[in-house]
Amino acid sequence: MTNPVQPDEWLKRLEARSRAKQETFMDGIAAKLGRERVRTRPKHPFRGAPDFWKEFQLPIEDRIRQFTANFEAAGGHVVRVKNRAEASTFIVDKASEMSAGSILINDEVELSTLNLASSLPDAIVRSWNEDQDENWRAVASRSDIGIVMADYAAAYTGSLVVTSSPAKGRSVSLLPTVLMAIVPVDRMVTRLGEILVRFDEAGREQLPAGIHFISGPSRSADIENDLTIGVHGPGIVFAILVDDDSDA
Amino acid sequence: MSAAEKGQTVKERARDALGNDFLRSAVRFTTERLRLGKKLAAEEHGNWDDWRERGRQIRLHTIAHLDYYLNEFAENARANGAHVHFADTAEEAVAISLEIAKHASAKSVVKSKSMVSEELHLNQALDSIGVEAIETDLGEYIIQLANETPSHIIIPAIHKNRHQIAGLLSREAGEDLPADTAVLAGFVRTKLREKFLAADIGMTGCNFAIAETGSMVLFENEGNARMVTTVPKTQITLMGMERIIPSWSDLEVMATLLPRSATGQKLTVYMSGITGPRREQDADGPDQMHIIIIDNGRSLQLGDPEFQELLNCIRCGACLNACPVYRHIGGHAYGGTYSGPIGAVLTPALKKNVAEWDDIANASSLCGACYEACPVKIPLHDMLVYLRRRKVEAGRGNKAETLGMKGFSVVMGNAKRYRNVVRLGKLGQKLVVRNGEIRARIGPLKGWNTYRVTPELPKDSFRDRWSKVEQELYSESAPMNPEVADRLSKLMDQRKNGGHGQ
Repeated sequence: MTNPVQPDEWLKRLEARSRAKQETFMDGIAAKLGRERVRTRPKHPFRGAPDFWKEFQLPIEDRIRQFTANFEAAGGHVVRVKNRAEASTFIVDKASEMSAGSILINDEVELSTLNLASSLPDAIVRSWNEDQDENWRAVASRSDIGIVMADYAAAYTGSLVVTSSPAKGRSVSLLPTVLMAIVPVDRMVTRLGEILVRFDEAGREQLPAGIHFISGPSRSADIENDLTIGVHGPGIVFAILVDDDSDA
Repeated sequence: MSAAEKGQTVKERARDALGNDFLRSAVRFTTERLRLGKKLAAEEHGNWDDWRERGRQIRLHTIAHLDYYLNEFAENARANGAHVHFADTAEEAVAISLEIAKHASAKSVVKSKSMVSEELHLNQALDSIGVEAIETDLGEYIIQLANETPSHIIIPAIHKNRHQIAGLLSREAGEDLPADTAVLAGFVRTKLREKFLAADIGMTGCNFAIAETGSMVLFENEGNARMVTTVPKTQITLMGMERIIPSWSDLEVMATLLPRSATGQKLTVYMSGITGPRREQDADGPDQMHIIIIDNGRSLQLGDPEFQELLNCIRCGACLNACPVYRHIGGHAYGGTYSGPIGAVLTPALKKNVAEWDDIANASSLCGACYEACPVKIPLHDMLVYLRRRKVEAGRGNKAETLGMKGFSVVMGNAKRYRNVVRLGKLGQKLVVRNGEIRARIGPLKGWNTYRVTPELPKDSFRDRWSKVEQELYSESAPMNPEVADRLSKLMDQRKNGGHGQ
């Protein structure tokens, strides 16, 4: 396909067309609703969950119990450890048990202090985006295990949350066969809404490109309602709850 | 091409479906599983009706101010670096998609499940310019290989058994695959992984779009929507213009209602909020992101008091699973992109061509189970009645029915005429009554008697006995208890004021 128009020029032309169309589109909506265009923010009296729900808070031990029950019911695994050293031991043991040949970790301080490369001399351990010229999506797709820090977790739905940044790939929690997520317990809240409201408070400009809630292994029931695990994303998912995530 | 466009009637399509034993039991089993899952999830969560009401209010508010919120979303999405497009019609949306595909020099497009894309018949259009479109949801991939359309909004390949699926996938694999779910899914994982990594464009639908931050939100279980929005260089989101919610806080309500209503899950395995293309230093996510906002008949519902609430739909499929008609005939009998009660209303509403789709509005018992199931309380059963009324008002009613109704009014409007007609009937039925039953499938009794038996007209009818009954009643009955009489007269007064049920 030959393309005589420069990409930037083409996109500019598209944008001009879109902006013109946007006006007629919105005018059309207002006309059908039988009123003038609404140009100031309307009062939204029903924002968010019902009020009784916003009060709902569980103590930390109940949160951990509920998260564990929900995550396991969805087919995930949960382990609880005292500190980062125990987390490291758990990961090393599991990786050896599964004979993992390649491990991809997000480029985060907490993860680099696990010292996985020295503890697993037979595996290739790489950090996301450590080399700008690498095709990191392909690396992630070839990796046996992806390891991430969870930004948040919600007990009521059994979900952990990962967000993207230059150091934190969306692919790391998605493309490897096994996902291990470290969840410092002080990042665990009761309800989804406690996490979601932070994105409202942060505002558009502060949001990362990808925010992902993960509630277990990838699954499908599309063949005769027969549950299949790991159809596209990781089929084995560990949430490693860490009581004390300090460096010491 | 859908069955309806081939010119079959809903009756003919339903007859095909009823003749397919596997389809019937599969649809029954699946809908029962999903319906029960929803019931348990709603009970466990508690205060379900409060949540439904909250969901309804958020949707009502957003649609009532759609011009503001949609405009806000478009501005914020642009500020995030996404390219926003508006399409009045399916054709315009297709043209924009093809233009983007050409500029990306695309050879293949990986797609995650999107009902909007089914509306557009986009796969055929991409194929016509030499671009391969690959559905990546397991169920959608299966029916794409079979060259069919989805029969359920949540479980698209509900109508295929594992042997048929093994056959389709074996053809793709070039070797015989056993009819074992794990093996079949494993093959699809490997096969589609190559496709994800090679694709130039990823294409998704959009469950919700957040006005205040210009983000779009996707719910899924397999991870293919994440693949499609993470791996290819160019991403296209197809979005119905009504998918908007104001804020992330409002998403909590939708995230509470949608997965529980769809499958009984507390949350789908993945819920992703995507805000613009990848940031400059990010090593994955699309370089270029396009959001195509599509009308295609949706705005026709705005300002229509009977149908505006259709735009509140969050596409969970709960009304399908609850519907006694859907549970018997499955999705293909409806003949459009959307099936079940929501499809029966949405299809003619989007196309404003009640005449062509009128038989779908009749494929309902008006029992209201769809309304009971709906997480945002859309009165679908009322809308089905409005559709039927509009059809009759537009003079497109059934001629025989109109004639019948006129005859009925002539006969019933006059006591003497009624007496004469009944007398005639008593004489006439002697030709067809056997043992007190009429089984002949003739004339107006054909439809009824195909499945049931009509009793004969009684020799001594209530009407014949009335004068005697009346005498007995008034001579023997004691005067009414004054309390009861008072209550009854109050009830009668209430009824005069419109008789609203409790």
